[in-house]
Amino acid sequence: MRSVVIHDPTLRDGQHAVRHQLGVAALRGYAEAADAAGIPVVEVGHGNGLGASSLQVGRAAVSDDEMLSTVREALRHSKMGVFMLPGWGTSDDLRKAVAHGADVIRIGVHCTETSLAERHLGLLAEQGAEAHCVLLMSHMATPAELAEHAARAVGYGARAVGIMDSAGHFLPQDVTERIGAMAEAVGPSGVPVIFHGHNNLGMAVANSVAAAEAGAGIIDGCARGFGAGAGNTQLEVVVPVLERTGFGTGIDLYALLDAAEFAERELMPAPPVTGSLSIVSGLAGVFSGFKHQVLDHSGRAGVDPRDVFFELGRRQAIAGQEDLIVDVVAELSARRAAP
Amino acid sequence: MTVAERVTAGPATVPPITVAIIGTGVIGRDLVGKVHRSTVLNCGLVAGRNPESEGLRYAAGLGCPTTAEGIDAILAAPRPYDVVFDATNAMSHAEHWRLLQPLDTLLIDLTPSRVGRMVVPTVTGTRPPAERNVSLISCGGQASIPIAHALAQRFEVAYIEAVSTVAGTIAGRATRLNLDEYIATTQHALTALAGVRDTKAILNISPAVPPATFRTAVHAVVPGADPEAVRALVDDAAERVRAHQPGYEVIACTVTGDRVVVALEVTADSDVLPRYAGNLDIINSAAILVAEQHAARLAPAARTGVGR
Repeated sequence: MRSVVIHDPTLRDGQHAVRHQLGVAALRGYAEAADAAGIPVVEVGHGNGLGASSLQVGRAAVSDDEMLSTVREALRHSKMGVFMLPGWGTSDDLRKAVAHGADVIRIGVHCTETSLAERHLGLLAEQGAEAHCVLLMSHMATPAELAEHAARAVGYGARAVGIMDSAGHFLPQDVTERIGAMAEAVGPSGVPVIFHGHNNLGMAVANSVAAAEAGAGIIDGCARGFGAGAGNTQLEVVVPVLERTGFGTGIDLYALLDAAEFAERELMPAPPVTGSLSIVSGLAGVFSGFKHQVLDHSGRAGVDPRDVFFELGRRQAIAGQEDLIVDVVAELSARRAAP
Repeated sequence: MTVAERVTAGPATVPPITVAIIGTGVIGRDLVGKVHRSTVLNCGLVAGRNPESEGLRYAAGLGCPTTAEGIDAILAAPRPYDVVFDATNAMSHAEHWRLLQPLDTLLIDLTPSRVGRMVVPTVTGTRPPAERNVSLISCGGQASIPIAHALAQRFEVAYIEAVSTVAGTIAGRATRLNLDEYIATTQHALTALAGVRDTKAILNISPAVPPATFRTAVHAVVPGADPEAVRALVDDAAERVRAHQPGYEVIACTVTGDRVVVALEVTADSDVLPRYAGNLDIINSAAILVAEQHAARLAPAARTGVGR
């Protein structure tokens, strides 16, 4: 049986669904439950990672320092993961995270911008942390481009490299091609490939299985799919499905189900559903984290939020460009008012 | 209120000064083009490190003397250049400053090093400080500070955040390695020049094809913000920036409770840069303005024989 490493960003990517408002008790409780289930890596932070609490994407209820120290205390076996986008967080944030005991540090860059991670991956290699490089909005790049960028990230010192389907746009065949190309490019170096799915089109679990079959060694999943819009790959589903497919995870099923129940009860008002806007954002190739702001602005202006998502897709808005929402809503509103 | 100093001497009355440019990336290349267009700046030397670089070829094609000997060639000039533009990177700038400091040269820094006196033309004026090192801060700083400053002149601004997006195709290696410096320098400048203690800077590099136009969103927490007053302040500030940066446009300006969001886009007007590269154009246009006004200030001194 081959094995895959399960990486759990419930306490980081899930923050997008609750406007980055997870409190200390929720962080601690879930981290303890995930640790008890034997989940290898538990990631925590603001939805956009270290240093990202802002008006642009939303301010976090709890500081980075407090989030990291809370989860560190709660984990006995699991590694603690964090995430950082260069241009949002800095080297100082990385040094603080290492000092807080972060074991796995992911540097996120948009799909073809790997060189933005060069300096921070180098710093993490010096610090001895396990550095990953993840390519966001990966549907905007071809399999060959992603393979080239994966190889570059390994050259910069990444000890795992992968893609996020930030918009939940992929179908399984897309994932097979991309992960296959990346695994071929970095396979000889022994560096595992990561797949991080979103469920906008109901494909997250199927895409994750396709990724594992194409050679991914690290699969991301969130309890109850906790994440923006339709949410992420549902952790307590993907783990047993991977096991049945023939990939060992080392995770205890009942404890995993308990952790997911805790998450549903304590982290979220309701589990994610694949609503109209999630479907539209998946089709349009737009990050689901835009949903709350799209609803707020289009509600005030009286425009159809579905049109807003398609227009954002046409403009190739990337995660982090939430400021475009205001323009798009204003433009659609003006267009409608014109005779 | 700080009023930008206006030097009114026209080209006819200003004898040209001689400038050098170090760095032949896209910023350096655009500076070469802008110096070439200027009637008061003579291109004395363009210094790079790779004799085969596209930047040196471009400069030579415009008739500028070039060298692959970098800063050493600038130091070896028989008479110091009146102005040296540093278009290298933040790490190299400190060393360039150390070497040029003893000379009678105005150093204009295009890197986010935070070494020299920070200049945003419509906010600080363009007069160089006695120590002759001027920092142009960052593209996001040049775009956001006029707006932040205008808001802070009229209202108590509790917080300012500047979020910029630049196209990946125009972000060179130095920019990519200097993101931490970009953030620190832009935040520091927002505090120093707009007087708002709590500031944040964010930079997105976009892989979009066709490339995204340079854009900066200024988010502010402004208790008591009045939408009409905010709009008027923003329009006025933008109008003044357009005097040296014609492609500076207010795309959106919204006030919701105490939250103000001003979205700006800047397009380039350049022989070298594509239109979407307003990030480089805004910082280079400010640099050229500083150099031209420096030339105008030197002019009467030259005529009356007063030492500089």
